[in-house]
Amino acid sequence: MFYRQSGVHHTRYQTARRLWPLPTDQRIVWLLLALAVAAPFYMSDLYLTSYMLPWLIWSAAALSLTLLMGIAGQLHFGFAAVMAIGAYTSIHLTRAGVPFELALIGAGLMSAVIGCIFGAAALRVKGLYLVMATLAMQYLVDWTIINVPAISGGAQATLSTPSVSLLFVPLRGDTALYYGALLWAVIVTLLVLNIKRTSFGRALVAVRDKDFAAAVIGVNPFKYKLLAFFTSSFLGGVSGAVLAFCYYQAVTPEQFGFNVSIQLVAMVLVGGLGSVIGAFLGAGFVLLVPIILTNVVAYAAVAGWLTVSSNLLAHIPLMVYGGLIIGFILFEPLGLAKIYDNIRKYFLVWPFRHTQS
Amino acid sequence: MDFSYFFELLINGALTGLMYSLVALGIVLIYKSAGVPNLAQGAMVMISAYVIWMFTSMVGLPVYVSIAVAVVVMFLFGLLAERLLLRKMVGQPIIMIVMLTLGLEIFLRGLGPGFLGAAPKQISLGIDMMPIIVGDVFINREYLIGGAIAVTMIALSLLFFRTRLGTKLRAVSDDHVSSWSVGISVERAIGISWGIAGVSAVAAGALWGSVQGVDWTLSMLLFPAVAVVILGGLDSIYGVLVGGLIVGILGSVIPGYVDPLVGGGTRDVVTSLIILLTIIFRPHGMFGREDIERV
Amino acid sequence: MKGLLKGLAGAAAMAAVGFTGAAKADDTIKFALLQDFTAVYTFVTDEYNQGQRDYLRLINEEGGINGHTFEALIRDTGNEPQRGIEAYNRARREGAVLVDFLSTPVSRAAVNRVLEDEIVMITVLHGRGDASDGQTFPFVFPMMATYWSQAALLADYIDNHGGGLEGKRIAHVYIDSPFGREPVPVLRELAERKGFELRTFAYPSPGNEQSATWSDVRRFRPDYVILWGAGGGQPVSVREAIRNGIPQENILSVVWMAETDARTVGTDLATGVKRFEAVATGTDYPIMQRIMEKVIEPGHGAGPRENVGTTYYNIGVASMAVAVEGARIALEEFGTPLTGDKLRRGMEMIEDFDAEGMMPPVTLSEEDHQGGGYGRVSRWDGSAWEPVTDWFNAHQDIVWEEIEKDAAGFREGR
Repeated sequence: MFYRQSGVHHTRYQTARRLWPLPTDQRIVWLLLALAVAAPFYMSDLYLTSYMLPWLIWSAAALSLTLLMGIAGQLHFGFAAVMAIGAYTSIHLTRAGVPFELALIGAGLMSAVIGCIFGAAALRVKGLYLVMATLAMQYLVDWTIINVPAISGGAQATLSTPSVSLLFVPLRGDTALYYGALLWAVIVTLLVLNIKRTSFGRALVAVRDKDFAAAVIGVNPFKYKLLAFFTSSFLGGVSGAVLAFCYYQAVTPEQFGFNVSIQLVAMVLVGGLGSVIGAFLGAGFVLLVPIILTNVVAYAAVAGWLTVSSNLLAHIPLMVYGGLIIGFILFEPLGLAKIYDNIRKYFLVWPFRHTQS
Repeated sequence: MDFSYFFELLINGALTGLMYSLVALGIVLIYKSAGVPNLAQGAMVMISAYVIWMFTSMVGLPVYVSIAVAVVVMFLFGLLAERLLLRKMVGQPIIMIVMLTLGLEIFLRGLGPGFLGAAPKQISLGIDMMPIIVGDVFINREYLIGGAIAVTMIALSLLFFRTRLGTKLRAVSDDHVSSWSVGISVERAIGISWGIAGVSAVAAGALWGSVQGVDWTLSMLLFPAVAVVILGGLDSIYGVLVGGLIVGILGSVIPGYVDPLVGGGTRDVVTSLIILLTIIFRPHGMFGREDIERV
Repeated sequence: MKGLLKGLAGAAAMAAVGFTGAAKADDTIKFALLQDFTAVYTFVTDEYNQGQRDYLRLINEEGGINGHTFEALIRDTGNEPQRGIEAYNRARREGAVLVDFLSTPVSRAAVNRVLEDEIVMITVLHGRGDASDGQTFPFVFPMMATYWSQAALLADYIDNHGGGLEGKRIAHVYIDSPFGREPVPVLRELAERKGFELRTFAYPSPGNEQSATWSDVRRFRPDYVILWGAGGGQPVSVREAIRNGIPQENILSVVWMAETDARTVGTDLATGVKRFEAVATGTDYPIMQRIMEKVIEPGHGAGPRENVGTTYYNIGVASMAVAVEGARIALEEFGTPLTGDKLRRGMEMIEDFDAEGMMPPVTLSEEDHQGGGYGRVSRWDGSAWEPVTDWFNAHQDIVWEEIEKDAAGFREGR
């Protein structure tokens, strides 16, 4: 009914390999894009700057990590450090007078190079040991940033972003910042979607599923593991720079701590490993649920529905959030993307649910 | 070179390392039997300390009675965590299990401070605070007792693996399916190892809680404990002892000489480097069993 | 998923309720207390926030200011900048004229925003010390002694009451973070001027284990030790200092040392330890008496009764007392409705305000948002923190050099 498949005939390979072969999917994508582009006109500045904007940037970051964790199968518990490298590089470059566009590329390259050092551990180990190795590197990067005043910005350890312009548009005001973030999110989304259907993406999947087996069929696991770290760290670094310029407007070491790495991993996992839509849903979940819970609980307390101590009140969102993560992993290990997929599949055959899809 | 300085760093470092081993012991016990890396062990230490505090301050029991009560509570907690959460995760990818334990940690960090108060609390074990002075070397009495308890716990764990139940646990740690086929209840064995991990968390919680006060920062002991576990080997109890000593000594001696030069605390750097170098040169640690992977 | 949807729906409904509420209540003044109840600052937030709310309640019970009552908007930020920014934007929409984050990372992330939105941000004993420069930071009010002033004051205390600084050996033992390092330049400058030997010792965060650092401190044979930490690391520092043979009387601490820390050390053992004090402790002050009588006794208190009168509770009370005084002046001088800009100008006109004896006299001006950098030294006597000096300030010239240096850095984007 909604997802009508009749009449969709592919006569060329190109059309069959389109990103969204079904017309309905295409319409949904265009609708969402139109909604996102029009957001500054119908959203209040509170929801634009505090919900949409960070959500888009964190989605881009989660997508970068999904490329590494979901598609290439390399676990990474230090991705916030990669983003920090990007953020600090971009700030120092723009302060030195480099144009913002070049600074973003420089940030990506710097993150990619250092990210590959993280990746060096992946050549030796995988799974749990890789988790621990990347976690240790996160601590090392944090320590370096905090202890080198030339990086962190001296006594106050804060660096404000200089005013810059992106593609001749000054990045100032909520709307410009929002479009900057949207542009980056769209670029990363298209990139990751396309990587999934190239030979590069398929090689990564082969390495993920079994690296020895991949070597047998002629995919060099060393090369592809490093390439995965390179690409993903590049995107992560630029995301970090965009986060600093479009959202925080000042960087401090705490913005990229260990807990942020955990949040990024949670975004990828709760969203669904390896899924692009999952990265968006997961980022929304991890970023916005604590905020929404805090507000709901606070309003409930003001309205007198919850009469407990303010201390417990503040900790309820933490408990619920932890509980939700546990719940997702226990009951829907494939994440929010799977829930979306179930809904889509339901409508794919609706109203004839007994036919095969 | 000032030798008494070196010895003081060495001895106090070794004792601190043993106290980290107490946290690490729980992780190893669980990994050994179930193959689950329990990143919520730090939070379990925090909850143990909160439970001890609750029974001393709110119920008014003597501290050692409270510890005994906490042992029971945490044993049950371990059993429950295994039964309700981890048992459902058998066969899932390792990253899911890691994230589950991290979710549990977030939950516990809300639970303890939320219901019992986030401001720091006190546990007093009645250990004399003045140091033992040998020549010019000051030895921290609290750490000495903590280290002794850690060694005792590790020795007890080793002995435990020689009992009938322990033999079953060893069989389970070797191979789940073959243990099943000879009639060992794998679920029960794994449950018991979680319970024992809860008990070791009580020992760590009591000691660290008395040293620094009880609040959520106790869960940050996870990081040095992870270093101990990685260095010693994820499934080796000897490894906990030796790894703890090495992590403690290096984390004390190196910063002792390097800190004044770089003007910053370098202990976390040392800990991170221990993890990294171990993983690069000997991923399974000093005493751990090497995983053999089949295509 | 269902839970998420429910949450979203709930939030939307709540938000609608919130906005209508904001529209009709015109003469309530809203202060946003968006603090960290669950992460790094838990050691102070509970008591501090309780004091703030009890004081605002007291003002409301006494009829408000010219009929204006106060409302506290409270949110947890978990010390995460993105949650802080969300809470800030929401509070701004609801009409808050003042924000207090009590979290250095969040206030740092918010500095540019409050300057742009013209909302007063108070950074009592946290945040950027250079915000004392009112010309560079017109909407940021540290209001009490900055860390630089505290370090200068502690050094001056040793100078005047500990037999002079000349030739002394002083150890600055700090948590390895920007906060711990902040007072170092001031102490170095003083060391040069006064001719004492200063050495700094860092211990790794969070400070639950410091034995290696203290082995080194002992070999330095310091006459005095200045502790610069917060939370769980503080009692560990004191115990290690005592264990390493430093007399309690010679241990001085930054403002973050409270009753709980003394109890963790051991009430008897901690006797003699000294600390910087920004606001008097206890309930023997008119404001505290009125809070007891009008807020706590009728059962309107915002938290456990035993917290009333603790160090951090009183700092919370004092912070709100200054802010309310600023609001009172602003309403008298500039009339209703109270905006962020009026509140700022009101606060800049505060002169010799001491919250009826509870705190040192604060004088704020367009240039000086620190209020003089006054404080005093108090000593743990086994059951309470007893002041050993009067309110005083010290070496403000050095402090202001630092303030101006960093404020200049801020203007360049640091």
